[in-house]
Amino acid sequence: MTDPDPSPSAPPALEAVGITKVFPGVVANDAVDLTLHRGEVHALLGENGAGKSTLASVLTGLYRPDGGELRRDGQPLTLRSPRDGLERGIGIVHQHFRLVQRFTVAENIALGDGRLPWRWRRSVVADAVRKLSERYHLPVDPGAVVGDLSVGEQQRIEIVKALYRGADVLLLDEPTAVLTPQEADALFATVRAMAADGKAIVFISHKLREVMAVSDRVTVMRDGAVVGSLHAANTDPAELAELMVGRQVDLSARKARGEAGRAVLSLRGVDLDAVDGRGGLHGIDLEVRAGEILGVAGVAGNGQRELAETVAGLRAPTRGSIHVHHRDVTGTGPAATRVAGIGYVPEDRLGTGLAPGLSVADNLRLTSKQPLWLDRRGATETATATITEFDVRTTGPGAAVRTMSGGNAQKVLLARELDTRDGAVTALIVAAPTRGLDVGATEFVRDLLHQRRSEGCGILLISEDLDEVQALSDRIVVLSEGRIVLERDADGVDVTELGLAMLGHDPDGPAEGGTS
Amino acid sequence: MMRGWQLEPRRDVQPGVLLVVPVLSVLAALVVGAVFLSAIGLAPVAVYREILRVSYTTGYGIADTLVAASALILTGLAAGIAFRFKLYNIGGEGQLYVGAIAAAGAALWLGEGASPALAIAVVIVAGAAGGMIWVAIPALARAYLNTSEIITSLLLNYVALSLLQYLIFGANTPWRDPNSPTFPRGAPIPAEAVFPRWATTRVHLGLVVAVVAAVLIAVVISRTRWGFHWRIFGDSPEAARYAGISSRQVIVVVLLLSGALAGLAGAGEVAGRAGRLDPNGLVLNLGYNGIIVAALARYNPLAVIPVGVLLGGILNAGPALQSLPGQNVPVAISTTLTGAILIFALAGELFVRYRPTRRPDAPPSDGDPVSVGTGDEGGRA
Repeated sequence: MTDPDPSPSAPPALEAVGITKVFPGVVANDAVDLTLHRGEVHALLGENGAGKSTLASVLTGLYRPDGGELRRDGQPLTLRSPRDGLERGIGIVHQHFRLVQRFTVAENIALGDGRLPWRWRRSVVADAVRKLSERYHLPVDPGAVVGDLSVGEQQRIEIVKALYRGADVLLLDEPTAVLTPQEADALFATVRAMAADGKAIVFISHKLREVMAVSDRVTVMRDGAVVGSLHAANTDPAELAELMVGRQVDLSARKARGEAGRAVLSLRGVDLDAVDGRGGLHGIDLEVRAGEILGVAGVAGNGQRELAETVAGLRAPTRGSIHVHHRDVTGTGPAATRVAGIGYVPEDRLGTGLAPGLSVADNLRLTSKQPLWLDRRGATETATATITEFDVRTTGPGAAVRTMSGGNAQKVLLARELDTRDGAVTALIVAAPTRGLDVGATEFVRDLLHQRRSEGCGILLISEDLDEVQALSDRIVVLSEGRIVLERDADGVDVTELGLAMLGHDPDGPAEGGTS
Repeated sequence: MMRGWQLEPRRDVQPGVLLVVPVLSVLAALVVGAVFLSAIGLAPVAVYREILRVSYTTGYGIADTLVAASALILTGLAAGIAFRFKLYNIGGEGQLYVGAIAAAGAALWLGEGASPALAIAVVIVAGAAGGMIWVAIPALARAYLNTSEIITSLLLNYVALSLLQYLIFGANTPWRDPNSPTFPRGAPIPAEAVFPRWATTRVHLGLVVAVVAAVLIAVVISRTRWGFHWRIFGDSPEAARYAGISSRQVIVVVLLLSGALAGLAGAGEVAGRAGRLDPNGLVLNLGYNGIIVAALARYNPLAVIPVGVLLGGILNAGPALQSLPGQNVPVAISTTLTGAILIFALAGELFVRYRPTRRPDAPPSDGDPVSVGTGDEGGRA
């Protein structure tokens, strides 16, 4: 592939030379080279499992490479721990934040800072935080309790934390996965500001659009190896996608929608009382028709999980009714709701949708009624058939789901919940079905959902990833603070309008202060 | 700490590891025991050889080992079935006492003249019921109030101990032998209710009960819907909720079964060993040692059988060693060994889940901590 040398005269801030990292049975990084220059945003692009996270872990000191070396400003560098990495100015913002929910912002930032005396003064840290937040357009309130803040704000704290500790090489791992479009734009501005200030930024992502928008250079990884390193200006999304997957892909087009039929799932005036002031639902009216995908967009923690669990029968609504195919299933519990024709793919696959320690065969019959004496042979045969049909990569029906990759685990879950062979399932609740999956698995999941739709299933898609909602849905509603605040047809939907609604701005009412 | 080594999570656990770790745990415990033995001037090898000889080679010793094993297998199953599904019933000891009290009470209430088959059945059922009643308190509290069963079941052990002592030493109760007013002891149960013994040894029906129970439990766990639901709950309570399985039901049923097994051990001690409710012969930590058996068997019901026999031999050897001529071996050596075995068995769990790997490029340097991956990426504090 093309490897243009930008070669500014200064040695690179951080350089990985021939990094190899081997896990039992997997070469996670195979002689990977990566050069990070000051003042540059360097995107690390690749499917899940391509080795991005492993490389990030090596760069920040969590893993030691089995081969190759790191160079900091031209000098060889050996990192013993993430703490060691941070002390040498290499910081990372993980996809899942490392914050203490009950601590204030200042306390979280001070946590683990060995430079502070044992009796540290809040005001000193708070002042430093304020300075950083002004400099990089990162509004944070040092006195706020982290648990009260939105996901976007928490991410800003993580960035400030890294900067406060003196990071001038900063890795951002899938930073936009949980952000609204407006929050993502703000993040891009911050990233540019940090680069302009002479920091080296690594932007880890599998979203081509973002990579094109924010980065100067792009390194593409596939199967643990670098397959290309390009200037963002000299490439386009199609080329990057092809590099990333190794073949041409088409993720863009929504397959032509069929004729939406009669309602298979309807919610009328569903209320759910909040627990500890969180997670209530208020007056939800929804109708999912046969042959359509209804997408529910929203920022995490606005009632998505509660909505899914209420429809699936895991929670009984306080008021209102839920009908599946004109049958009232309100408050009948998960088993009866399932019998009425609901399939539910929860967002948390391992641990909720699947029992990770149990075998593939056991997981495939997790939700079906079992005879007192288990049919072990039947379960094994079903599992073998499913493994073949869905091309699940595993050692066999007896393998624990825990040992499988995310994509393969999701296939097991989908195979079970989307099983329409007996004609039982007519409505599906699907939460974040492609989160964390690689391009191949994502394609597979999307095709499967489209196939079920064309077979006449009504699908309720709940996701915090707006791209996913847009790519899959026929209609889109926005859930904010437990209410449906917007409903639009997916064709020609205005992303800005969606984003504002997700942030709690009522499009039909007076504009209200959100968390932007 | 080991320099230049680190631990990496195992993705797949080979069966060999599951066998090697407990065996190494026992060996490591023997090494620790050897340190203590040497410290008091005894030759460890000689003592260990003596344990082997006393407990596992002489006919009398094997019989005693099997008698102890019948109780340990049952208490091991009691702890194993609960722990395996992440329900931590520490109350096997108390449930054993109450099972023994119920079994003795039922036998005495039934009196003489009943058919042996009926009497033995009544004793067995009463023992199980006694254990269930005692575990019902922590079980219901956990299921309905989400109270930690660890605390409640542990504390109830002391209540059960007091109850046991009261029934024999505290007052004139039906459990107390009326023919021994000055030296309080349990009243002998009718001959019909005494467990049959094998030939002339003291090995009794309790061993058969224990082995049958182990096989039944293993079958229920792996082959039935109930066991399937327990396995789902034990693996992930959230997945059980999702699948529509009642957590309350699983918690109550598993804990009741656990208590019943401990109660059965108590019935065996009364009807098989002592022939009466005998506090001194009962307070032997059989319930607590069941936890060691279960941990060493890695909560596998069938593995509980050999482990119960192994531990029974070690525990029995203590008193036998004490009477060894010429040497002054403290009785506590077997307690030391079992304690060490538990510690190493639990520590060994680490190596079941993680594998030690040599750090490729690690220069042995100062104060380098062994980094333990947590499956997730390690946190930066």
